[in-house]
Amino acid sequence: MKLDRRSLLRASAMAGLTAGLPVLNTKFLVSEAAAASRPMTFLSAENLTGNWDPSSHTTLAQINLESFVFGYLTRAPMRPDNPDELVMELATEMKILDQHTIEFKLREGVTFHDGKAFSAEDVKATYEYASQPDRPAQWYPGPCKVDIVDDLTVHVKTDEYGYPASLFWFLSAFLPIMSAKDIADGTALSARPNGTGAFKFARQDGNTTVLEAFDGFYLGKPKLPGINFSFVGDATTRTLALLSGEADIIERLEAEQVETIEAKGGFALNKAISVENKYLWFRCSKPPFDDWRLRRAACHAIDRSVILDVLGVSGHPSNAFISPVKFGYVDTPNYPQYDPDKCQSFLAEAGFPNGEGLPELEYITSVGFYPKTKEYGEVITAMLQEQGFPVTLNVMEVAAWNERLYDRPGGGPGHMIDCGWSTGSPEPDLVLRTHFHSSSKRITGIEDPDIDAVLDKERNTVDPAERKRVIQEEVMPLLAERVPAFSLFTSVFIHAMREDLQGLYIYPNGMMDANSADFA
Amino acid sequence: MFVLGFLARRLVQGIVIIFLVSFLIFTLLRVVPGDPARLIVGGMAPDEVVVQKAEELGLNDPIPVQYVRYLGGLLQGDLGNSFIRPKSGASFGGSAYDDPTRGERAAVLDLILDHLPLTLQLAALAIVFCLIISLPLGIAGGLNPGRWQDRLAFFSGSLFVSVPNFWLGIVLTLFFSVQLGWLPAIGYKGFIYTVLPALVLAIEIAPFVIRTLTVSLAQVMQEEFIAIAPIRGLPAWRTVTAHALRNASVPVMNLFGIQLGTLLGGVLVVEYIFDYPGLGLLTINAVLQRDFPLIQGIAICISAIFVLINIVVDLAATAVDPRLEY
Repeated sequence: MKLDRRSLLRASAMAGLTAGLPVLNTKFLVSEAAAASRPMTFLSAENLTGNWDPSSHTTLAQINLESFVFGYLTRAPMRPDNPDELVMELATEMKILDQHTIEFKLREGVTFHDGKAFSAEDVKATYEYASQPDRPAQWYPGPCKVDIVDDLTVHVKTDEYGYPASLFWFLSAFLPIMSAKDIADGTALSARPNGTGAFKFARQDGNTTVLEAFDGFYLGKPKLPGINFSFVGDATTRTLALLSGEADIIERLEAEQVETIEAKGGFALNKAISVENKYLWFRCSKPPFDDWRLRRAACHAIDRSVILDVLGVSGHPSNAFISPVKFGYVDTPNYPQYDPDKCQSFLAEAGFPNGEGLPELEYITSVGFYPKTKEYGEVITAMLQEQGFPVTLNVMEVAAWNERLYDRPGGGPGHMIDCGWSTGSPEPDLVLRTHFHSSSKRITGIEDPDIDAVLDKERNTVDPAERKRVIQEEVMPLLAERVPAFSLFTSVFIHAMREDLQGLYIYPNGMMDANSADFA
Repeated sequence: MFVLGFLARRLVQGIVIIFLVSFLIFTLLRVVPGDPARLIVGGMAPDEVVVQKAEELGLNDPIPVQYVRYLGGLLQGDLGNSFIRPKSGASFGGSAYDDPTRGERAAVLDLILDHLPLTLQLAALAIVFCLIISLPLGIAGGLNPGRWQDRLAFFSGSLFVSVPNFWLGIVLTLFFSVQLGWLPAIGYKGFIYTVLPALVLAIEIAPFVIRTLTVSLAQVMQEEFIAIAPIRGLPAWRTVTAHALRNASVPVMNLFGIQLGTLLGGVLVVEYIFDYPGLGLLTINAVLQRDFPLIQGIAICISAIFVLINIVVDLAATAVDPRLEY
């Protein structure tokens, strides 16, 4: 072979390239930030409100974020085998002193993220501020007064307002404790979250809320250096992000995405019967669903087993207005079952035999957040139409649906609307009183003195065992008879995460405890 | 002098187009369902608060009056404030109507300026990829009409145009990100995150460039001045690069001006799939959240970009082919 200048250069260049290939750093293609990302990245299916005051909203995504940032007097793991269990957090002890007084002994040595020491004044400020009836979240059973006994002891009192203080027993696990200083300065409260939780708010980076481990956390600095809490609305995108390693944990998965993740391997799935029931809410403050007989007729037209077939792994059967992990759940004996004959009989009784004479009915649902809403909405519409209800399904994007969700004077938009309700406490009144008592009636607009009476009775019953009996034997049967809303099923919350993410506890409402989580 | 006159004429035309687009968008957004006042104050606000907010925003005035008011702000560079997003830029929804942060809305112009560079980066890389794919296929096809190179150009163009971008995005992510782990796909943490979305966009616009280039080049190669080039002593490669391609590039350049519309439309879907935080994702979220001022602002901004690009394309075409007059 003839060796000239050109062939020598070509051969030496090829030799150099061949020798260099094994050590070629291909990582320059991949972002180092992604590769070295040890903060946990969570992709949320829902956006936040932009207002950090926990009493200003009922948005589940923000409640989930608050679970990292804020402290609670207690926490409720709500395990199906022991739904009533409470674990002490900012409180060390709690005791019902009398019908209208509950005492909390508080933990010493806890500080807020801004450095302020936690004490009784913060519990007083939080409870008295957030229990005001005009606070939008309305999680509190009513206004209350808090007496400071000493720096680490408070008495929550309800005597002035006529309901038992025992209602705060389970609620203690759901109400984030704010700083008295922030509450005094309302703007600071809304501008950034400041709690006693394991992670502190660092900044808002577009749709990502960046949290950092809090050095002064009372249980010690968490192992994870931080959490990136990002809103990604599309479920397929969330799944792809998990599969490609750009997310560590994602939520609100549908059956087919679960299959993809399981097939790929290397991921753990957390499937839990949640505190969320999905309901078909009737607009009870305007015709024709102001007549409970017509509501019953609609309920008997719906075969819920078909809805569960559509949902697959995302739904769990239940026969009550609260989830099985809530205090007072019962398999309600008279819960409306699919029965076309009963449906026709109630239709005739209400003056609309075979649905004749009924006005055009609008059924509103959303698409993009809850699994399969459009699909089972079409099933429900077809079933109602089969019995003579002239129903039109209106499928909306989440924002447009959210705008139409709540009751208004003269009745909310449409005649029926789909929505779930999820609260991180076993306390049943967070659903029952919020929606079915005439003092709140958030979506239904119902005003029924009989329902008010049984709800007042269960709320005013101090003994927990007796209260449970009233809920199971009086409240649920009456609600099943009048059905201001029809609970369709209990949601199964599915989270998928990297297999090496260990020690993360996911509560049945989607809140999380990452205090001892870490990548193995 | 010609260039100045051309620029002045096209800019005036462009302003008229932007004016018409803004009026159309403004009117359409006010006749579609969705009450802006209700959106701003939130679902839980009582009706009187909604009425008061509508009055405060002048939403009860006739549409032409509202438009003139909007135009007044627009002329001063004020595109208004988002209904939904606070100054932090995050999505917003569901909180109370009387909270202090409700008043601190992000300026539409700021939101657009924050997101536009990422979309321009994506579009630019998509064009580069598109040229890398289209030029070899199109030139080979144009130089060999009726032969396998031509058929390859035709078949690859047909294949690319038949592939839906949302499907391609998911498949490429599964292959390059999930299986091979070569490229990141979701979100944006650096330039590398632009590669996969740009590839999807490039494949979407490449078929039109390939076809136009093939046909245009094949036609030019039939011209007399190409046939006599060897007599002038020009080598074949120089005939193709300096004469045939130069003449064939004018229709391709004009096509690029039009394809910009496809590109900007494609950006909406592609950015959503890849969660790429550009103007497309901002637009989708604005539409889903009925954030009217943001939708208006983005539409005006896109029409302005469209007009400007077309002016540049026309200028470039004139420079390439001095026979053209605009």
